[in-house]
Amino acid sequence: MSNPRTVVITGGSRGLGAGIVQSFLDSGDRVASCSRSSTDQVKRWEADHPDRFLFVEADIADRDQSKAFIKAVIDRFGSIDILVNNAGVARDGILALFSDEDSDAVIDLNLKATIDVSRQVVRNMLAHGGGRIVNISSITGLTGYRGLTVYGATKAAIDGFTRGLAREVGSRKITVNSIASGYLKTEMSHGLDDGQLEQIVRRTPAGRLGEPEDIARAVQFLTDERNDWLTGQVLVIDGGLTC
Amino acid sequence: MNDVQGSILTLIKSLLERSDKGDVAVDMDTTIHGDDGLSLDSLETAELSAMLEDEFGTDPFGVGLMPETVAEIVAFYTSGEAAGEFVPA
Repeated sequence: MSNPRTVVITGGSRGLGAGIVQSFLDSGDRVASCSRSSTDQVKRWEADHPDRFLFVEADIADRDQSKAFIKAVIDRFGSIDILVNNAGVARDGILALFSDEDSDAVIDLNLKATIDVSRQVVRNMLAHGGGRIVNISSITGLTGYRGLTVYGATKAAIDGFTRGLAREVGSRKITVNSIASGYLKTEMSHGLDDGQLEQIVRRTPAGRLGEPEDIARAVQFLTDERNDWLTGQVLVIDGGLTC
Repeated sequence: MNDVQGSILTLIKSLLERSDKGDVAVDMDTTIHGDDGLSLDSLETAELSAMLEDEFGTDPFGVGLMPETVAEIVAFYTSGEAAGEFVPA
């Protein structure tokens, strides 16, 4: 793995993704990220780290845009050491009333785009001799949550994808792990209202919602070059909610 | 031996060394998958595909072809299959 490392983080313009981007900028790495639109935070990163931060406006659910994003990263930085599949969307609503459009949007981004980006990046990692992949999953894929059936299904699928890919590329110095995140204090708290979030806090042993930094620290751990014997696992980080 | 042929042979030898097959002889007639050739498995084939794309910007496996010999890989880059997008690295 090169030093500094080249890190691709999808959906890094806000919320958890922004926290992970900040973490890798803080650790001195080269960071590339994408989302459908830029933010003030992204503009600050571009100004502060012009030599090691790349942002591309892209909807990675669109394969052409996804391909253009990864090509831009490789053109700029040469190869990719770490991929964090963070981009995701949550649409809440009980399944019996769920629209086809919402169902497609969640599956296209959370699952199909993750697979597509991973396929492109794993080819680069195979050509360059290794890497780290972390898929941001959710405890809703482990326990289920009323109103998040499709979202939870995509996250459970991502965990299965993690295990399969880990077996496939483990012999090539590529590790693949999932982080099943609990409920975070971010803009995208799975569409839950204040009452639902208060109930979650009451049931959480740690007594609070998560912060992006709680997850970012785990991403740093899983992508540490020394952790080459940790692969195919789902690391639950939820303040103890599901224990 | 032209540049493309030399680059491809070097790349294949590099792949074989990574796969602990450094003692396997490679020439233009060597088969890619057969027991009498490189005996690449599916993951090694994926690695070869990725390395070729990394080197040349495109690769025969990525466009749906399944070359059987080293010569067929070389031919992809020299006989027009990839002519429109072939850019040596």
